[in-house]
Amino acid sequence: MNRVTLEYQELEFLIIKVREISGFDFSGYARPSLLRRASRYLAKHTMSLNELTVHIEQGGKAVYDFIQELTVNYSEMFRDPEFFIRLRSEVFSYLESYPAVRIWVAGCASGEEAYSLAILLKETGMYNRSLIYATDLSERVLASAREGVFSLGHMRTFSENYLLSDGKNSLSDYYHVAYNQAVMVPDLRKNIVFSLHDLTGDGVFNEFQMVSCRNVMIYFNLEQRQKVFKLLYESLAMFGFLCLGKRETLRYSGFEENFRIINTHLNIYQKIK
Amino acid sequence: MMQTQDEPLSLVLMGGSSGSFAIFEEILRLLDQPLSCSVIFVLHRGKSSLAELPQLFRSRTQIPMEEPQHLDTIVNNCIYFAVPDYHLLIGPDKRFYLDGTEKDFFSRPSIDATFISAAQSGINIKAAMLFSGASEDGALGIRTIAEKGFKTYVQDPSIAEVERMPAAAIRDYCQHHILNENIFEEIRQILYSYST
Repeated sequence: MNRVTLEYQELEFLIIKVREISGFDFSGYARPSLLRRASRYLAKHTMSLNELTVHIEQGGKAVYDFIQELTVNYSEMFRDPEFFIRLRSEVFSYLESYPAVRIWVAGCASGEEAYSLAILLKETGMYNRSLIYATDLSERVLASAREGVFSLGHMRTFSENYLLSDGKNSLSDYYHVAYNQAVMVPDLRKNIVFSLHDLTGDGVFNEFQMVSCRNVMIYFNLEQRQKVFKLLYESLAMFGFLCLGKRETLRYSGFEENFRIINTHLNIYQKIK
Repeated sequence: MMQTQDEPLSLVLMGGSSGSFAIFEEILRLLDQPLSCSVIFVLHRGKSSLAELPQLFRSRTQIPMEEPQHLDTIVNNCIYFAVPDYHLLIGPDKRFYLDGTEKDFFSRPSIDATFISAAQSGINIKAAMLFSGASEDGALGIRTIAEKGFKTYVQDPSIAEVERMPAAAIRDYCQHHILNENIFEEIRQILYSYST
């Protein structure tokens, strides 16, 4: 690993440059995390700040590569298996009575969470009356999510998670192997809509019975996080459920009073006013 | 009684992996007086580790212990433990930030991530320490802190349960102070010294 070269002042300079060239605005993002990501980008490409600046000024693919690297969200299928157990027993059991269920996976990256929810909906017999909207700010990760292709190495971890989450079958029932990769079965994709949405710029686009936004809030600083919470709150139907990451709570959200806690450890909340 | 609340924030960072759990536990036992600094422990843990260290260590010390959440404010006289499956970063605004980027040396939390962010935060670092472990995580981080002019301490690899982590740090940068025979006595003095 290379030496750390980037300082906060330089990061602010990069944020302005990226905004000028691409229109993409990092100003609401958590600085310590951006600094880590940008430093790693430089180390990985053995690049100096000057070289990176020139690179960004070229616009086009180069600047989008950089944005991608700074926003990419690593995820797993059935991440935090316990979450899916609780989801089944405490959320889906409630939504079961609904004639139609709309779920929003906000910040879906390459689709792991959306496919996991699709599997859970299938196994609870709710899939055919459900629609999953999975959104991300990167067209590139969405393209990969639509394909539903994952490496077999990752699939091993996902399968373990699936079993720990009390899955009814084997995860391999939901994909087939082609060219040494796992391809999710098309049937699972039928009711998933993958589309572009930037949580820091775009607004409410539908009303949902459940929003899963796990491990996304940690990207944002205090002010931006409050704005995103407002967006999620306004996107939820009354008595709709909000699912956050295992270490994310409503603390500092400004909406603590509007939700009741369904599960403290797994940060599942229900909108009550 | 020492005044702790009004003093400027000062950090003591402790990193370790296999063989460090018992050391951390012993260090907590030393903390019988209010601290004029904030102590942050980064211990490699499996992502599914459910053990809540503040609960587990409850009987060891009276000083408040926490597993910090995203954006929590860092205060003196508090002990913090990095949670599994996230990197724990320290911001210039004296808040914790959780980070989900890839692992360093197969570890999340990584010691490098926390130490480097602390070095770049501009917050005073009273001491950074690295103990037993089976990976080379932490070497770059503790070196970054040393190069900013703060005091750094590494456990003597020959007394560490697993020598790889402290050995890597010393190989990478030879000016770390080495903790050997009276390791706990020395750590106590560092933690309760007034010098920064």
